[in-house]
Order: sequence, then structure tokens, then C-alpha cells
Amino acid sequence: MSVGLITLIVLGLAVLGFIYGRHRALSAVEGDARHLHSLPSYYGWSVFLFTAVPSLLLMCAWLILQPSIIENRVAALVPEADIAAAGSLNLVMADVRRIAGGIDAMAKEAGLDEAGIDALRADLSDIRGRLAEVGVALGSNVGEPILNAAREFRSLNASMRMAMAVAVIVAAVAGLVFAALRINPALRARNLVEQFVLVLLVSCSMIAVATTVGIIVSLVFESWHFFQLYPAKDFLFSTTWNPKFGGGSSLGIWPLLWGTLYVSFISLIVAAPIGLLAAIYLSEYATPKVRATVKPLLEVLAGIPSIVYGLFALITVGPLLRDWIAVPAGLGDSSSSVMTAGLVMGIMLIPYVSSLSDDIINAVPQAMRDGSFGLGATHSETIKRVVLPAALPGIVGAILLAASRAIGETMIVVMGAGAAAKLSLNPFEAMTTVTVKIVSQLTGDTEFASPETLVAFALGLTLFCFTLALNVLALVIVRKYREQYE
Amino acid sequence: MTDASMHDAAPQNRPASLLTADARTRRRKAAETRFRLMGVAAISVGLLALVFLLTSVLGNGFGAFRQTVVEIPITLDEAVLDKSGTRDLEVMKKVTTIGYGKVIQKALEAELANRGIDTSAVKAKDVMGLMSKEAAADLRNMVLADPSLLGQTITFNAFATSRVDGFFKGRVTMESAKLDSNISPEQLQIAQAMHDAGIIETKWNWGFLTMSDSSELRPETAGLGVAILGSAYMMIIVLVLSLPIGVATSIYLEEMAPKNKWTDLIEVNIANLAAVPSIVYGILALALFINFMGLPQSAPIVGGLVLTLMTLPTIIIATRAALKAVPPSIRDAALGVGASKMQSIFHHVLPLAMPGILTGTILGLARALGESAPLLLIGMVAFVKDFPAAPPQGLMQPATALPVQVYQWTQRSDPAFVERASGAIIVLLVFLLLMNAVAIVLRRRFERRW
Amino acid sequence: MNDMRIADRKVSTETAKMTARGVQVYYGENHALKDVDVDILSGTVTAFIGPSGCGKSTFLRCLNRMNDTVASARVLGEIKLDGENIYDKRVDPVTLRARVGMVFQKPNPFPKSIYENVAYGPRIHGLTRNKAELDEVVEMSLKRAALWNEVKDRLDAPGTGLSGGQQQRLCIARAVATSPEVLLMDEPCSALDPIATAQVEELIDELRSQFSVVIVTHSMQQAARVSQRTAFFHLGHLVEYGETGQIFTNPKDPRTESYITGRIG
Repeated sequence: MSVGLITLIVLGLAVLGFIYGRHRALSAVEGDARHLHSLPSYYGWSVFLFTAVPSLLLMCAWLILQPSIIENRVAALVPEADIAAAGSLNLVMADVRRIAGGIDAMAKEAGLDEAGIDALRADLSDIRGRLAEVGVALGSNVGEPILNAAREFRSLNASMRMAMAVAVIVAAVAGLVFAALRINPALRARNLVEQFVLVLLVSCSMIAVATTVGIIVSLVFESWHFFQLYPAKDFLFSTTWNPKFGGGSSLGIWPLLWGTLYVSFISLIVAAPIGLLAAIYLSEYATPKVRATVKPLLEVLAGIPSIVYGLFALITVGPLLRDWIAVPAGLGDSSSSVMTAGLVMGIMLIPYVSSLSDDIINAVPQAMRDGSFGLGATHSETIKRVVLPAALPGIVGAILLAASRAIGETMIVVMGAGAAAKLSLNPFEAMTTVTVKIVSQLTGDTEFASPETLVAFALGLTLFCFTLALNVLALVIVRKYREQYE
Repeated sequence: MTDASMHDAAPQNRPASLLTADARTRRRKAAETRFRLMGVAAISVGLLALVFLLTSVLGNGFGAFRQTVVEIPITLDEAVLDKSGTRDLEVMKKVTTIGYGKVIQKALEAELANRGIDTSAVKAKDVMGLMSKEAAADLRNMVLADPSLLGQTITFNAFATSRVDGFFKGRVTMESAKLDSNISPEQLQIAQAMHDAGIIETKWNWGFLTMSDSSELRPETAGLGVAILGSAYMMIIVLVLSLPIGVATSIYLEEMAPKNKWTDLIEVNIANLAAVPSIVYGILALALFINFMGLPQSAPIVGGLVLTLMTLPTIIIATRAALKAVPPSIRDAALGVGASKMQSIFHHVLPLAMPGILTGTILGLARALGESAPLLLIGMVAFVKDFPAAPPQGLMQPATALPVQVYQWTQRSDPAFVERASGAIIVLLVFLLLMNAVAIVLRRRFERRW
Repeated sequence: MNDMRIADRKVSTETAKMTARGVQVYYGENHALKDVDVDILSGTVTAFIGPSGCGKSTFLRCLNRMNDTVASARVLGEIKLDGENIYDKRVDPVTLRARVGMVFQKPNPFPKSIYENVAYGPRIHGLTRNKAELDEVVEMSLKRAALWNEVKDRLDAPGTGLSGGQQQRLCIARAVATSPEVLLMDEPCSALDPIATAQVEELIDELRSQFSVVIVTHSMQQAARVSQRTAFFHLGHLVEYGETGQIFTNPKDPRTESYITGRIG
């Protein structure tokens, strides 16, 4: 029974429950709704919610937990020798899952029944060849234990699925009966429903917290795995980044951090002055008409997806910088470079700086400007000596937020900065960043449990800490600033 | 109290008359003008960058919507394609694309001879090389779909190879062809002659929007079909999940929640989630959805879930702003006639805040549509040739997404893919433009000033 | 009304420092000020009184062209400072404002140190040649604003940290530091408590010896206490202008009388 079908059944039951609950409440007072504590539909809703919500929650929990339970049961069937041969349990399990999927496909195509599947013998029939026919390519021949594990995997999966269907529907029916039996005219159905809705609202707001917890747990957990396999000392202090497939990689973070900071630095050199000056002009000088056209146009820059900037860096800015600056000046001949990525990212960040600075500058009270004008200051003197110093904390906050964006930006650097991890000062050389390496280490074909892959989580953790610190700092500064003028 | 003797008349260096500016005032005026010009310059740089960005991408991409095709009459010879003459599909399937390739080659040679185009400068194989390798498969599929075509002479449209296509779009020149192992200047001359004879022409190409991705060697048949479908699936998931969850969270935080440490924590949390780099969400999805929960890689469901988590903070922030904009008097009025708090919110506040909520949701969706970094990590960069099925099964099947497709194409060596990638960007930008336009219209239509 | 004693100080009415003739002000479509003629005498405190929205602040802001900073404002007519039309095309409002200083309704010290607040004007106008001179100007201005003794030990403390009355005196010191010839004060005591108000009023009287002072005020008692001449504005018209004593004791116009006796306002 598929998840979709179960959901439909539960919802169907819930709708029936709604109709029945409403009807039951009305008939208890002989159709005169005035004698009910709440409106009739609240009685319906109370049944609906008790039917649908707990059972669907049960289904979600089941779906989340089922794979890991099955995995544990099946993993016990896999002999140590096979794990050693494949390198890790994860790889064996991946094979098991694929074989199980392949058997399903075979069953469908060749019309094998359950008995036929049971009769499959790894040594007798060419399982690998037959699986290849249905599109499941395996790296090596299938051994008896693995095939058994796959069969166990299939049957467990099927029976758990069945059990889930039964459990969910039983839960739904139980909820329905429970809620329906409670209905009487004195039942405070509205309060009940509202309590229920409140619980739903609260649990929805928990999702935000859960996301953060999820991010932190997954980063810390996998980073911890990584540091079991690779010394933290080398990760934090080594200056070489040289992952190798066969092991013995050097995974020092410094070249990546350097690239990240260098690109971000260049992007801020571009974005901070342009964004700030644009904000000053828009908030201090521009007529309302100019402001109303230019401000949204600049903000378009923030609405363009970063992949577009990446393409722009790759096909336009990179070659342009290479042919017009880097090659004539003898600074290198790579079209992807720190400069390329930095410039393009700088363009992307202009509106981040300008929008927030604009708000901040507008928050400086007009009385400040009047005071300065009243003393005979010119407009620019007023801005430079009164408005900007007053707005400084907020502007620093805006630039910090932009910096955090720059550090976390991925697509522009993936497409514009290059992949070579090195510590160099030449901005026209290709360098790489933390985000680029997260992508390349996690999209490669390396085995998941190897330090070469797991390092991506340690990099992610570093990135998360950096951006979090910047964001919190910026938020605190901006908040302090706003309080000053409120 | 004051020492009046310290005061003397106006300072000496002040100009005597208001009507004449002294040197210092002129300097100050000049500084003022310079400062103003710097502002204008900054804005101009920003706007020029925008224009440059758009023209460069659009200029590169328009070509992707046009495709050079070879149009020749082909006689589908029964003797070759269905030797048994039974029209039995199983038998007909025995004829491979190689067999169909020969039929096409014969027809092409005949047509060229008929038009008097001299092909002696190149090998017969190279004349065939003007056409996409996909042509034979296309013809085979056509015949297998409709065996009654056998024996007839049909007009067959085949894509030209990307080099020939590039030649007519100006990307490939005689000079570049000399250095190119995939095409020779002689071949291009024949192509030119065919163009003059009207056998080759460059037409509007709907296939770019409907076909699926193709292998490295056949950029001419690469399309965005799977990517658009994948993106659409993910957007549906994002909408279905993030709108109710976002609205529920906002209602709780804005209307119900007591002000305490706990709700403070949630609020700080949401503010920070909005600024977490998108790639970190990708890592979360990989660790949680794929490794822990065992959801399939490359599947829209995983992409949709991770984009939901990313979009939630945006929607929550927008929704809360919209709720905040509804004046308290509305709530008081509802409470005053005996409505419960929940009723006042769901009957009065929420409907009034709906335009703002929808605007914020659409903008959040637009952001999610353009997001690529987290999708790279959940395996959406895989090469996907087959269309996913309709939901719900389709949600679990491999698909790709528009921005990821762009990235994938830029990683390929054939320059024809750069054109495709830029074309895909145009499609992406058109979708974003539409979404933003809807949001603006919504805001204009329903915006209320209290 | 017994606190409405009229300042019986010697009134010097020798010369007109500023003359306004036929001044009209429009804010967009709104005709805010209609045909105003006023002479501001040197060495005199002139008070502008009248109900809210009568145009008294608007007129004050015309005197140093602060209305230029309001995009929709249009000023017609002629205002002369020492015989030169301040709305002449060749006049730079920046130079004008150096000579006609202004103190605002709400104390608005810059978010800088006390010293920097006072030094601001001399710095931008280049009035001093070196730090020693600047120090002297700052000290002198603070003394003139009767603030020196309270802040001399903490000149580096932020100006925003002072009390309301101190802040307003700091703003006055700031205006005085530029050595203006005319000092405009737009309801300078409206945000202050009675004690601070008394201090500022005392200060205004001191300042009269060096500047022409123009003060807009809501309070008739205040006008009576500090000014020698008073102008009464009503609905954008200048209703009556003359010696303070005469306006308060023997108004010619019935509207002035109604206002002073509290029937309109």
C-alpha cells in the first residue's frame, strides 16, 4: 500500500468523521444549533483533527525511522569478510539496496513470484548478469550472504510497509471513534479544536528550531567522524590541500580559507563603496521619482539567482579579465580567478549593502541634518560629518551581512574562482574556496565514509560558524543602532 | 556669566558680501559637486553592471531557441526496414539505428545529387556528419510508432550537428573549423550549399523546452524538459509545505506566543536561518534526508524538502510583516463581539493579511527556483535522460532542476552547451520575471494603507 | 497673567539687520505664508508668536533658507541681510547660514563629543587656523552658552549624554561658535523643563548684546519675558508687529487681543 493511498484513506476517514461529528452534534439537540456549546462544524472539526493528525504523524515518524531500523537488522546479516572486502558497511548496504531494487525489477519484468525469488541462488544463476538486464549495474559478483541480505531487506521492507499501513489506519479509526464518542451538546468543541490548532501552530514553529538543530547535529556528527579518521591538528594547521583517492590525503583548510577570504575581500572592495555611495545618493540627493525607479532596479541585482552570476563570470567576465588585464600584465592566463569571482560577487552584493544602508541612513533623524544645515554645512559635509558617523554602526552591520553572504556564496566561486587550492597573493590566479570544495568533495565518486568526503562536513561546520558569527554580530550591531533612534 | 570681551565681531576671513563667494566656499561647492557625482557614478556602475550582465547572458542564450535543421524527403523502403513485410513491431525492432542511418544517408545523397550539390570534396561519412547522430533514432522511433509510414516518401526534419548549427549562428567559422576535429571547412561549404538550396534552415526550436538532456556529443538535442518538470515538482512541494507551515509559525509567533525566552530563541533562530548559506542546507539534506532517512538521490522530493527549509524563514518574515500591518483595531473589533482569539485571527486578520503573505510566498518561491548549491549536494547534477513520472511516484524518481541544468551544461566541453546554458538562464529568468510580476500585481491590487 | 511682566530693558532700535518684504511661501499647493513684511533689528530679541500652523516657524526658516531643504517649498518676495537679497541666485545658502545661525525646537546634538559638537561649525567654515584657536572658540562658545562650568571636565563625553537643558545649551553653543550675526531659535524651550527653560531664557538675553536674536515661541509669557519686539502671526498673515510692551498691553488688532487674552490659539 503506497504512502499516497494511505494518506487518501486517512483523509477520507477524517472527512467522514467531520460529517458524522457534525451530524451527531446536531441530532443530539434535534437540529437546534443554539443548544450546542459551539458551532456544529467545530464538532465536525474535532473528529476530523483527531482522526487525521495523530495517524499522519505516526506515518511520518514511521517513514523516517523505518530505513534505519531495517538497515540495522539487515546489516547484521552481512558477514565481516564482505564488509572488509568492500571497504565499509555503507558500501555493502548500498549494494544490498540496489540488489533488492533489482530483484523487484526482475520480478516485475520476468514475472517471478515470491517462490521464484526465494529460489534464486547466487552460485547457480548469474545474478549480476540478470540484474544488469534490468538496469542495475553491479561492480562485482553477488555472494550468497549479500543476496540473502537483499532478500531480507526486501521482505522486511514489504512487511514493515504493511505494518505501517495497518498501524496508521488503526490509529485513524481509533481517533475517529474516540472523538466521535465524546460528542455531546455540552462538549466545548471550539475550545478543543482551538487547543488542537494551537498545538499544531506550536509544532510548526518548532520546525525552525528543528532545522537549526538538524544543521548543527549533522555537521557536528559527521565532522566528528571525520576527525576520527583524520587528525584535527592537520586539518586546522596544515597549509596543503591535496585529497587523494587512495588515501594519504593532506586536507589542510588554510588554502581554502585564504581563497574564501580573498574572494570575499575583493567582492566587498567592490560592493561596499558602490553600495554605500548609491545608498547615500538615493536617500539624500535623489528626487522621489529617481529613487522610485533606481532602487528597484538595483534590487533586481539581488533577485537574480547566483547561477546567473556564475555563468556571467564563466563566459564573460573571466575571459574579459584574462584577455585584457591578466595576460597583458603577465599575471597569469587563467580565466577563472579570484578577481573574476570577486568582481562578479561584488556586483551581486551591491544591493545587499545599498538596501540596508539606505534604511539605516533614512533612520538618522532629520533633526541631525537640520542642525548641520543650520550651521551652514553643505549637503556633503552634513553627510560625511554627521549622517555617516551617526549611521556608522548600522552600515558596519550591513557590510558584515554582505560579508557573510560572500563567504557562503557557492555558485559564483564554483564557476568563477577555479579549483586549485593554493596560497597566493596574485588575484588573477585561480584559487578555491571552502564552498567549492564542499561541492567537489560531496559530488565526487568517493566513498562516503572516507576522510576525503567527510572533510566536506568539517568544512561546512567551519563555514557555518563563520557566517553565524558574522550574522549574529551584524544583527546585534544593527539592533543596537535601531534602538538608539527609536 | 559670560566673558563678553572675548567676543569680537565677525571673523576676518568671512566674505564681506553674500553675493561673492570666496575661495573656500568655492572649494566647498566643488567638493559638494564631486561627492554628488560619486553617488551618480556608483549608481551608474550598478545599473551598467545589471545591463551588462543581462545583455551578455541574453545575447549568448537567444541562439538556443533556434535550431538548424536538415529537411529532406526520405523514402522508407519496406525491403530494408521490414523485410518480413508483416508490420510486426517485434520483428521491425530488429532493425537497429544503423539500418535507419543507411536509409537516411541514401536519401541525403540522392537529394544532394538531385540539387546538384557537389560532395566529392569530402567522404560520404562526413556528409552524414552534418546531421545529428540522433537523426537515425528519431526516424526509427517515428516508424515504430506508425508502421503505416513504410513504403511512403516523407519529409524528414533532422537536426544539424551543433557545429553546423553554430556555423549558421556565427559561432563556428571556416577558420575555427580548420582546427576542429569534428567539422571541416569542406563540410561547411556543403552545408552552405545546402542552405542556399533550402535544404538546411534555422528555425524556432520548441524542442529546447520539451526535450530531455542529451549526451556530451549531441548538444543539438539537449533540452530543458526534465529540468522544467523537476523544478515544477519541487516548487509544488515547496508551496504545499512552506506556505501552511510558514503561516502557522507566523501566526503563533506574531499573535499567540507569550513573550519569553523560548519565543525569543525561535525568533533569533529564524533570523539566523535566513542568513545561513544555502550550501549548508545542502549538507543538511544530504546527511538527514539521504543518508539518515534513506530517500533517493536526485529526487524532487529531497530537493523540494531542502528548498522548503530554505524558503521557510523568508515566508515567515514576510507573513509576520503582513500580520503586523493589520491594525489591532480589527482584532479588538472581533474580540469585542465575542469571537475567540483563534476566530478573530482566522476570520479577520488572516484574510486581510493574505495578499502580503502570498506576495512573500511568491518571492520566496522565486528565490527557491533559482537556488542551485544545495541541489548539487543531493545529487541533482546527475545526468537524467528520462522524464520522471507523474506525482506522487515521480517525486521519488531522478530529475534535475533548471539552475542545476545550467551548471551541468557549463561543465561540458562543447561550446554549443554554453549557448544552451545561457538559453536555460533565459527560461529561468522568464519564470522569475513572471513570478515577480504576479507578486507586484498582487501587492498593487490588494495593498491597503491603514 | 501677573508673570507677564514686560522686559523694561533698554531697547536699541538703531538699524534693521534683516528686512523682509512681501514674503510668500508655498508648500506645494498650500499657501503657507502670505505677504509678510518684517524688519529684524540688530541687538534685539524679536519674538514670533501665534497659534500652531500660523506660519511663524515657516517664516523663521525663510530667514536662513532652511526651507531649501524641503523639496516642495517655494519662497517668493524679498529678504535682505545687510541690504543684500538672500534669495539672490548668486547667494550660497551655505554662506548665508554661517551668518544666520539656527537653534531648533528639539535639542539635536550630533552623536559626537561635546567638543566636536561645538567645533563643528568653525571647522567646516575654516574659522580657525590651529587647534589652539579652535580650543579657544569652543571654550568661549560654551561659556557664552553658560555650559562651560558644567562640562569643562568632560569635553570628550558624547553630547547626547547630557540632560535636555544642557543639550539645548550645547546646541546654542554650537550655533554661537560660528559667530553668526543673527541667531534664529525655533521654540528652543518647548522640549525643556521649567528650570532649563529659565536658564535658556536668561541666556537669550545675554546673547542679545552680540546678535540679533529671533525666537519663535508658543508661550506668550516667554515672548514677554525675553523679547523687545514681537510679531503676531495668524493663518499665514503677519497680523501685528511692534514693541513687545505695546503688543501685549495695547494691541491694535482685535485678533492679537483675542490671542493674548486666550480666546484663540
